[in-house]
Amino acid sequence: MISLKNVSKYYDGKRRVVALEAVDLHIERGEMVSIVGPSGSGKSTLLNLIGGLDRPSTGEIRIDGQAVAALSDDDLTRLRRDKIGFIFQFFNLLPSLTCVENVALPLHLKGLPRKEIDKRARALLDLVQLAERFDHLPDELSGGERQRVAIARALAFSPPVLLADEPTGNLDTHTGAEILRLIHDLHERLHATILVVTHDATVAESCPRTVTLRDARIDGDVRR
Amino acid sequence: MILLRLISWPYVRKHLLRSVLTTAGIVLGVALLVGMQGANRSVLAAFNQTVDRIAGKAQLQVTAGESGFAEDVLERVQAVPQVRAAAPVIEASVETGLKGQGKLLILAVDMTGDRSLRDYDFENGDEDVIDDPLVFLAQPDSLIVTREFAGRNGLGAGSRVAFDTMEGPRQFTVRGVLKAGGMAAAFGGNLGIMDIYAAQKVFGRGRHFDRIDIGLAEGVSLEQGQAALEKALGPGFNVEPPSGRGRQFESLLGIYTTAMSISSLFALFVGVFIIYNSFAIAVTQRRAEIGILRALGATRGQIRTLFLGESAIAGLIGSAAGVALGLAFTRSLAGFTGQLMEAIFGVPQNTREILVDPRFLLVALVLGVATSMIAAFVPARNAARVEPVQALQKGKYQVLLAGENRTRRRAALLALALSLGCLALSRYRPLFYLGYLLTVTAALLLAPFLSLELARLLRGPLKWLRPIEGSLAADSLIQAPRRTSATVSALMLSLALAIAHGGVSLASVQSIQEWMAGTLNPDLFVSTSETLAARDFRFPAAMEGELEAVPGVADVQPVRTARVHLGGKPVMIVATELGRVYRHIHRTIIAGDAQTMDTLAPEGKGVVIGENLSVLQKLHLGEIIELPTPSGPLRLPIVGIIRDYSNQLGAVFLERSVYVRYFQDDTVDLFRVYVKRGAAGEEVRRQIVERLGGHRRLFVLSNREVRDYVTGVANQWLGLTYIQVLVALMVAILGIVNTLTVSISDRRRELGVLRAVGGLRAQIRGTVWMEAVAIGAIGLALGTATGAVFLYYEVQAIGKDIAGTPLAYQFPFGIVALLVPVILIAALISAVLPAETAVRSSLVEALEYE
Repeated sequence: MISLKNVSKYYDGKRRVVALEAVDLHIERGEMVSIVGPSGSGKSTLLNLIGGLDRPSTGEIRIDGQAVAALSDDDLTRLRRDKIGFIFQFFNLLPSLTCVENVALPLHLKGLPRKEIDKRARALLDLVQLAERFDHLPDELSGGERQRVAIARALAFSPPVLLADEPTGNLDTHTGAEILRLIHDLHERLHATILVVTHDATVAESCPRTVTLRDARIDGDVRR
Repeated sequence: MILLRLISWPYVRKHLLRSVLTTAGIVLGVALLVGMQGANRSVLAAFNQTVDRIAGKAQLQVTAGESGFAEDVLERVQAVPQVRAAAPVIEASVETGLKGQGKLLILAVDMTGDRSLRDYDFENGDEDVIDDPLVFLAQPDSLIVTREFAGRNGLGAGSRVAFDTMEGPRQFTVRGVLKAGGMAAAFGGNLGIMDIYAAQKVFGRGRHFDRIDIGLAEGVSLEQGQAALEKALGPGFNVEPPSGRGRQFESLLGIYTTAMSISSLFALFVGVFIIYNSFAIAVTQRRAEIGILRALGATRGQIRTLFLGESAIAGLIGSAAGVALGLAFTRSLAGFTGQLMEAIFGVPQNTREILVDPRFLLVALVLGVATSMIAAFVPARNAARVEPVQALQKGKYQVLLAGENRTRRRAALLALALSLGCLALSRYRPLFYLGYLLTVTAALLLAPFLSLELARLLRGPLKWLRPIEGSLAADSLIQAPRRTSATVSALMLSLALAIAHGGVSLASVQSIQEWMAGTLNPDLFVSTSETLAARDFRFPAAMEGELEAVPGVADVQPVRTARVHLGGKPVMIVATELGRVYRHIHRTIIAGDAQTMDTLAPEGKGVVIGENLSVLQKLHLGEIIELPTPSGPLRLPIVGIIRDYSNQLGAVFLERSVYVRYFQDDTVDLFRVYVKRGAAGEEVRRQIVERLGGHRRLFVLSNREVRDYVTGVANQWLGLTYIQVLVALMVAILGIVNTLTVSISDRRRELGVLRAVGGLRAQIRGTVWMEAVAIGAIGLALGTATGAVFLYYEVQAIGKDIAGTPLAYQFPFGIVALLVPVILIAALISAVLPAETAVRSSLVEALEYE
């Protein structure tokens, strides 16, 4: 499902910063993988590259068999929209839009009929157990609820890939555990390929496979 | 200073585009101020220099308005013991037909006596000819030109120069070349000297002079000389030093100067909003930084000084750029001003040298800096009030607090109530203008609240149009009214001004057209010049008979126009055979009745005056007015007041026979010619040119041509006001760019999320463009409403205080219809750069952005 061959990422400034170097990684369809490592090891860079938010300096990335490097900006956006769902540490909900509107955002961007969008957005919120909060604004929700809305948004197109960057990093232990359960539940129900970047050992260990990054390189790959 | 370098400079460098845009208002305002002042000063200096150079050693000049006076006045002047030398002068400008040379100013003098007042410094070899003035006089085709003019056109002694005269086209022979400098520098060097008695024929002056230049006897002071001459000549004459002519010209230029000064000050005023906006945003964005500085021990005064210092530097840089830009277009503005003065007032212009007053440049710099600092004062004060603890907390600062909003609304309602009170008492004119000011204040106070409400109203339609892009665009405006309100205010003011001016122009042109339809109804106009304003040449009275003899001519009405001083202002006397004219025209009578007017005025027992003169000089029906004439004061009652647009400062319609008697001038500027029923106007025109044009300079204009000319001059004048509208619009559009640039920066994360979840580039652009269009639409709505109110005030001010002619209130729907696409397209263009910034910024950084 996801394949990285000799992928590197450099940032050229006054001196070159190596964010990721010669990474080879293959993730099968339906796998749930945690990515761990100390700060600055390249975890988020790896996730950004897989998610098409950034482009590698060298190497090849394939998502569902499609080479990312050859895609134009808009094609990359379409790939992101249709095949990848993002869950961010800081939720990244739009504060002026209601829960339904936030979840409907990618559906609107694809130009689906309005009735279908509304139906689907409500169904997704129902899936993450937020049926009571359809018309609330993000400011009116708790941290856990906001992350649920973000997860519902990520599932808008039932993407085969879900990328979560520290999904519990901004939540208390109890809420974090709830969100983790929800992600596992979705994994089982939707059979999506899920990558979770985390600092949290509990989150990492809950995944069947853990990839460890250190100094921009893969330092370990453990399957349980 | 250290704070400016450590704190302000990095911020400016980071937001370079915004910093440049912030100063744009100052740049434009100062540029216009410097350009116009430089141009006006140059035009005025060129005029004064010409007057001064050709005046030579003359200490006083005797004139009688524009009508001139008979030759015998010279003897009366010479008989005054205090006068050492008196030299008669005729002055006129002619087209020589020499390519690219413009007009040639002809100074016609009596060579036998003139050298006691003026130095004629000739090139080698010419002395022989000119040293014997009789030789010069004996040949009426003699012309002296300057070295500069001769050099430019390859002329020398014996060369021929042609120009039209009242006796048809004539060749003149160069019989002398003046050395450069002194008198030769007058009128940019385009000066020709000829014999005064030849000039009387050439320019159709009869046995008249335009003025007499005076040199006083030794020991006689200017005041003594002036008093003695005034006593000897009586009240119809003007005895003034040559500089007096400069003052008269300055009073004509004054209306124009005022209009242009208002333009530049308005640009600066609109610029205030842009600067205020930028600093208010900067204070909000740098709140945390201010908090850290305060926590580290910076005093409130230091914070205030920091922001005021930034604004002073921005103002200084903007003003310096404005001065440079202003200097760059001074020359072309001077050319435009000169042309306008010539077209409207018939005063020939030749401005070659550009003069700039360094003191004024300093004033412009100070004004620019002060404007910038005034605009930044409130944001600087707000920055100083920031509490360190609050500043270090995250939150929203772009929202307008409910309390603040309420206070603004209350103040606006109070201003509105007071302005209505002022309107009720508007017969006291200062209160009327105070009311106008209060209305502007109320509009500005209400703008943030109204733009917020309009943004809320727009959310629905925008969302319907594009669910995500539309909602986000409207939300961006709703959530951050502080970011938008100053730009909307600037746009609102600019558009209100455009609409008010548009309404005034529409009403003015319509009124002038109605007036022309009623009064300018002859089939043909026979004039001495193609521009009806120039009065250098005059027809002899006998030409009336010659015109009447042309087949197809039904009626000929001679008209003589001349400016005289009335109530300290140059007012136009229109002398014609009133009875004959009234039979043909349709007048709008403002005061008096047609029967009395038609009986008394043609009999010379009264005058009819224009409505504008009546309003501007507060003259009423039945009052006696006193006109200065060479035969003494002419006192006549006002027997009628009519609507009239023939002169900006007003006109007095006088029976021709009375004019001829009192002004001793039977010449004519213009013949109004009616053709017989059934006769073809074009054929009559051809006949006139054929019969009379061969031996006399004349222009035959059709009714359509004259109306087009008058409309053209009116439009040219009104067009001036559009410069200020254009500048204001440019400043407002810069404001939109500024606001959007800030909006993109504020919404970086939001736009990043949009892209991350599948927003295509076109969709991101869409939301930025929609925001820009929404700002434009809100500005348009508020500007249109405010413009409707401003128009009322402008119509009243023009009718009662400026032009003296009432204008109808007509809302310019056409102009609004034009402004809608112009502003919306301008808003879209303003959005291009910010939108591209939004789609091209790094997605990873945008999502990490705090």
